[in-house]
Amino acid sequence: MIYPTRFGLAYLGFVVLVFLLGTNYQNNIILLFSYLLASLFISVMLHSFYNFSQLRFYSVAKQQGYAEQPLYFVIKITTEKTHYDINAHFTDKALNSQVEKIELCQQGSHELRLVYRTLQRGKHWLGRVTVFSEYSLGLFKSKSILDFGHYAIIYPKAKSLISGQYQLSGQADEPSLDSYQSTNSVGTDDFSELKSFVRGESKARTAWKQLAKGQGHYSKHYQAEQSQLQWLKLSEMPSNDVEIQLAYLSFLIGELTASNQSFGLQLSAELSNQSMNISPNSGLHHQQACLTALALYS
Amino acid sequence: MILFNNKTKKVSAGTVGSVNRHTNSKAKSNFYLSRKNAWLLWLCQCLNISVIALELSTWMLAIIALSLAWQALLLHQGRDTDNNRSKNKTATGHTHRNNSRQDHQHSYRQSIGQNTRKKKQQATNVSPIVLGIFALLGCVAIVITAKQVGILASMLHLLCFSYALKGFELRSRSDFYQLQLLGLFVLAASLIFRQDLAFSLITFALLVLNLAVLLQFFSFEKAFVTNIKVVIVLLGQSAILAIVLFLVFPRLSPFWQVPLAKSAETGLSDTVKLGDIANLTRSTKLAFRADFGQQKIPNYSQLYWRAMVLEEYDGRQWSRQHKSTRNKIAVAAKNFSFDNSATEISPLSYQVIVEPSFQKYLFALAPAVVTGDAKGIQAQADHTFNNSKIISQAKSYRLTSYLTAPLTLELTKQSRQLNLSYPQGSNPRLEQLALQLQHNYVDVQARAQAVLNIINKENYSYTLQPPLLDNNSLDQFFFDTQAGFCVHYASVFTFVMRASGIPARMVTGYLGGEYNGVTNTGDNTGQLANKGHLSIYQYDAHAWSEIWVEGKGWLRVDPTSAVDPERVNSGWSTQLLQQQSELNNDLFSLYRMKNIAWLNALRLQFDALDYQWTRWVIGFTSKQQYDLFKNWFGKMVSWKLALIIAVSLVISMSMLMLFLHLLNRSKTKPQSLTKWQILYQKSMAKLAKQGMDKPPSMTVNDFAKEVRQQCPELAIAFTRLSVSYNRLCYQMLSTNEQEKLTLSMQQQYQHFIQVLKK
Repeated sequence: MIYPTRFGLAYLGFVVLVFLLGTNYQNNIILLFSYLLASLFISVMLHSFYNFSQLRFYSVAKQQGYAEQPLYFVIKITTEKTHYDINAHFTDKALNSQVEKIELCQQGSHELRLVYRTLQRGKHWLGRVTVFSEYSLGLFKSKSILDFGHYAIIYPKAKSLISGQYQLSGQADEPSLDSYQSTNSVGTDDFSELKSFVRGESKARTAWKQLAKGQGHYSKHYQAEQSQLQWLKLSEMPSNDVEIQLAYLSFLIGELTASNQSFGLQLSAELSNQSMNISPNSGLHHQQACLTALALYS
Repeated sequence: MILFNNKTKKVSAGTVGSVNRHTNSKAKSNFYLSRKNAWLLWLCQCLNISVIALELSTWMLAIIALSLAWQALLLHQGRDTDNNRSKNKTATGHTHRNNSRQDHQHSYRQSIGQNTRKKKQQATNVSPIVLGIFALLGCVAIVITAKQVGILASMLHLLCFSYALKGFELRSRSDFYQLQLLGLFVLAASLIFRQDLAFSLITFALLVLNLAVLLQFFSFEKAFVTNIKVVIVLLGQSAILAIVLFLVFPRLSPFWQVPLAKSAETGLSDTVKLGDIANLTRSTKLAFRADFGQQKIPNYSQLYWRAMVLEEYDGRQWSRQHKSTRNKIAVAAKNFSFDNSATEISPLSYQVIVEPSFQKYLFALAPAVVTGDAKGIQAQADHTFNNSKIISQAKSYRLTSYLTAPLTLELTKQSRQLNLSYPQGSNPRLEQLALQLQHNYVDVQARAQAVLNIINKENYSYTLQPPLLDNNSLDQFFFDTQAGFCVHYASVFTFVMRASGIPARMVTGYLGGEYNGVTNTGDNTGQLANKGHLSIYQYDAHAWSEIWVEGKGWLRVDPTSAVDPERVNSGWSTQLLQQQSELNNDLFSLYRMKNIAWLNALRLQFDALDYQWTRWVIGFTSKQQYDLFKNWFGKMVSWKLALIIAVSLVISMSMLMLFLHLLNRSKTKPQSLTKWQILYQKSMAKLAKQGMDKPPSMTVNDFAKEVRQQCPELAIAFTRLSVSYNRLCYQMLSTNEQEKLTLSMQQQYQHFIQVLKK
């Protein structure tokens, strides 16, 4: 799509003005001047088009991140010749996105990063991306509206819990927040208790000291392993507001993942509800799944 | 915990960064010009104004110069703060952020942008009130002087004034655009006053510069010179269409009355005092050109270009008769226009192209009749021609002259009286001489010859610097100083003739002309000249006399021939030329020009070019346009014309497109590739469509690995292809083996395509 900008229209008006000047003064040179400017208008249109043609855009549709944080949608541009003044922004005006610009696009690939930022958690469809260029003289805007199917999964913003405000509900025992925070501070698995040795357990865990004293064959057990299944429950979050509860959960998920503990997420009261509850696990993928569940909770 | 800490730090860094970015990009949405661009814009402003400077009054020029200097100052101040701030910024950028380099550059640029914005703000912060007062004062001054200088000039003043002031408030992009358009308009307006080739070229160069500045705004990464090249290419491409438009687009008559240019009159004036023409001859400006086509150009001494006949003499100056002009014109329209049917003298037809003189008189070799388009040209009873309007741009007309035919065989009583009158007692010694001559020579022509003899024999000199005379006394000149220019001699001669009872009058105009042609076989031999024209310059201005003789009509007598025959026969003597160059004190004086052969040749060449420009571009009228079409397509029907316009537009457009397309093609055209290279590149292109792009730095093997990772289903086919490609490229193979391998590679490629399709 290529159409004159406001300046282009003003320019046309100006050319008509010069033409009138030339006609009224019966001045051939001014007429020639106006014809030249008028045809310049057309050749600039072609130049604009050629500058904008043969561009190739790629982008990954999905991006995820916390609320209030900027999300970067990377648009990769590959070109076969040099282009100038390539701009992009989200078409949807409500997104209020900034115009990102590449002044000079030499042969090869380039990246544009569109920023998206919102306060609302959830899944947001961002619609299309407008790519445009006003190269040559700003008389024309060549523009294309591309559909990458961009959407953003926005997690609730993490809100930190003051220690003691909440206790994780384990299945077996219920270690307090303090306890797992202390494990966090060391950063590694902490010794917690001795249990009698079971065949098949690693000998590396044998409590040699006790064995030597003849107190029996024990194996050391560590905190992380021990507080096996923790369930993060929405209903147990200390607030009346669901959003705040989700924010706490978002914080806890982050913390637990950072300390590499496994946990489950329970958003609905019914344990059987598979879509709302995520069985305990750990790792980044798990974190993302949990946060996504938070984002999509309604 | 360390991990955690790290993460929070990262997050916080991220947010800080993003906040910065946010503010930066906000600044970006505000308008800024790079420093280089700002200076270029300033330069453009200066040059644009200088083009039109001649038409502006001094006070306006002073104001504009002041404001431009002020802008320059602001720009200069902006630089220092700019440098400091950007240094600081880059330093902090280095230490605090571990952003990628690109990012860094980005922010750097933006910071500069911010600074320039601040600078501009500064500028506008300082000045809005001052500027407002300034603008108001300027407008008031323009209004006050409007009556003096005329409407057009005051409009010009307003235009230039606003153009100069607009530079102060470049706050948004639209301001920048406005400034650009104003600049272009100033350029267009300057063409009202001058249209010759040199000036047009200058204007064109400035147009290129202006557009390049505009282009620079959109691609400031490029060097300015390349931008200029791009603009020239753009304009070159547009020129095709522009020329078509120029030839084809119908000439319209003016839509409304416009204030005419009121420029300083050049050339001869209505009244002539002693010494007037000597001043005029310092000028080397072109007065007009004459084209005789294939005909023989008359001898130099025949080329008396008649402009005005001055019949009234008040003892100090000669002037045209005023009172009865009106009646005369009425008479002339009916009676005059020289009766060419009666004569058997061979006619001489030629075209005259007059440069704008901002006066009304035209030039002719008397007696003449206007042939061709006589619109707006009035023939006068004294065999001169007048234009109905002030000549403000080049005008051409065609005349036919009968050089040896007598002028006005019958003299009216009124006219005789007028041409015999002189203020009694104004020059007693000359009157006495006249009486004496009247007594000695009864024959009119013999009496005239006697005066010429006196001038010839006595020690009279012909000079550009005649000594000053008291009260323009002819007596003093003739008997005491005895040095003068053509007007002196013509005045004295006419006076003596009148005093001795012969009707006589003064005629002013130009004498001779410089022949400029391709087949330059000599100016005066008058051989057949194929292409060429006579250029008549202001220094060819001349004054001579006419006496009326019974039965012969008005006879031309040139007293100058008695004192300086060379002037009349071949033009200026070297002595006069030297005098002129001394007076002018000019580096490119005519004398020097004529002495240096190559410079003179160059000058003549340029003059010839300028002539063609004047003739075909400036003088391209609707009639010529019509003739052109008639030539090309035969008789016109209006719908045919429209069709031709449309078709030619379409054709020129498509040619332009094709041209652009080819231009683009040629750049991307690769050198001749071997078969396997073509195959590999084809598969490359196929993969690129899938989103897998091979950076030039990546090796073939590495890329194959990446493909294996990203699209395992393609892996086998592509790896085979890559291997054969590598072998073909880098292994020493016999031609036989090569052919074989190429064949197998082709098969592999086909296989690859099949897999890809699945």
